[in-house]
Amino acid sequence: MPRLAPIALGALAFMACNAASSAPSLDGFWTVKFERKPSGQALIDSLPKGAVLINDTGAGELAAGDFAGLKLKPAAIDQVKKYNYADELKRENTCVPPSVVFYMQAPFPMEIYQGRDLIVFKMEYFDMVRVVFLDGRAHPPESAPHSKSGYSTGRWDGDTLVVETTHIEPGTFMNNGFSHSAHIKLSERFRLSPDGNTLWLTQVYEDPETFDGVAARYMAWTRKPGEFVFPYECDSSYGK
Amino acid sequence: MTFVRTGNQSAVAREHGSSRVVRIAAALLALGAAGSATAHHSFAVHFVADKIVTVKGTVEEFSFRNPHGLLMLTAKDASGAEQHWRIETNSPNILRRRGWSDDSIKPGDQVTVEGYPARDGSPSMRVYRVTFPDGRELVGQRPDPTVVPGQD
Repeated sequence: MPRLAPIALGALAFMACNAASSAPSLDGFWTVKFERKPSGQALIDSLPKGAVLINDTGAGELAAGDFAGLKLKPAAIDQVKKYNYADELKRENTCVPPSVVFYMQAPFPMEIYQGRDLIVFKMEYFDMVRVVFLDGRAHPPESAPHSKSGYSTGRWDGDTLVVETTHIEPGTFMNNGFSHSAHIKLSERFRLSPDGNTLWLTQVYEDPETFDGVAARYMAWTRKPGEFVFPYECDSSYGK
Repeated sequence: MTFVRTGNQSAVAREHGSSRVVRIAAALLALGAAGSATAHHSFAVHFVADKIVTVKGTVEEFSFRNPHGLLMLTAKDASGAEQHWRIETNSPNILRRRGWSDDSIKPGDQVTVEGYPARDGSPSMRVYRVTFPDGRELVGQRPDPTVVPGQD
């Protein structure tokens, strides 16, 4: 019987490897796909019931005072009122990067490097990098440091990569004075189109400190072999 | 309790047992965590997307660095007085893929610039198109309905 244990473990490891290797490959260079009509409607249809879809991704942007229909908490409304847009143009604020809540939707390309135990997203926008652990680890304790990319763990749900991110440092939510808190929770679902050339993503946000209910965004990218992410290297001298 | 950085200020707190001081600090941090974080500026907030202004003048300076290229232009206003324009491009990374480069525009160039005017009425804009006397054009932010200004 003891001799069977290593064999069983080996079989499990083999199955795990097989599961990982059968996952769709997201590897490559991806550029934002500007769509009039979402090609990934199925992913949108699977959003939580009642989720408010924020229509500012890729080519979109919300104007001042437009929060996509989200009901902001009184404290958040107050903060928006106090927000000074002119401050954004100051030199010291020019290169403040957004968090993963906002930078994934920016109209810049990304490279994805996919391994069995982790996936790395190299974003062009503000040179941001995010790592998604697929090795089954837990999220760190609440006291752990926060960052703009947060702490991400993921798993494959069939052909869909499901990612949960916590520990996100506060940053802009809609680029119009409305910021998310440090306690926002981000849930993402990545899925390839049947031909493998389009990558779809839905992000779902819960941040009871700043708004009621659930919000979401939808994004799409096109795979472009042979291209690569340029350095961003933000230069604050643009600021006034 | 969390390590939280909001805006340009850092606030760090470590949990040491369950002291009252720590709990108060945690509460303060939680409040701070919900505060507004300064962002890279929004096009929609700062520029008028459905209006194009045209300025003809001499390039004083051109820098092509992220987050935005900057074209400083001297022009004449309607009364003939000299006017200094601050004209920004969308991200140089995006424009490099459309053929722009660091020396696409040089000091001394005579150019006509069309763009989206600043909401505050200052002589500044986001570039739509730069045209040279020989007819050569550089296209920045396209008023294409499939590419909403500010994000292409």
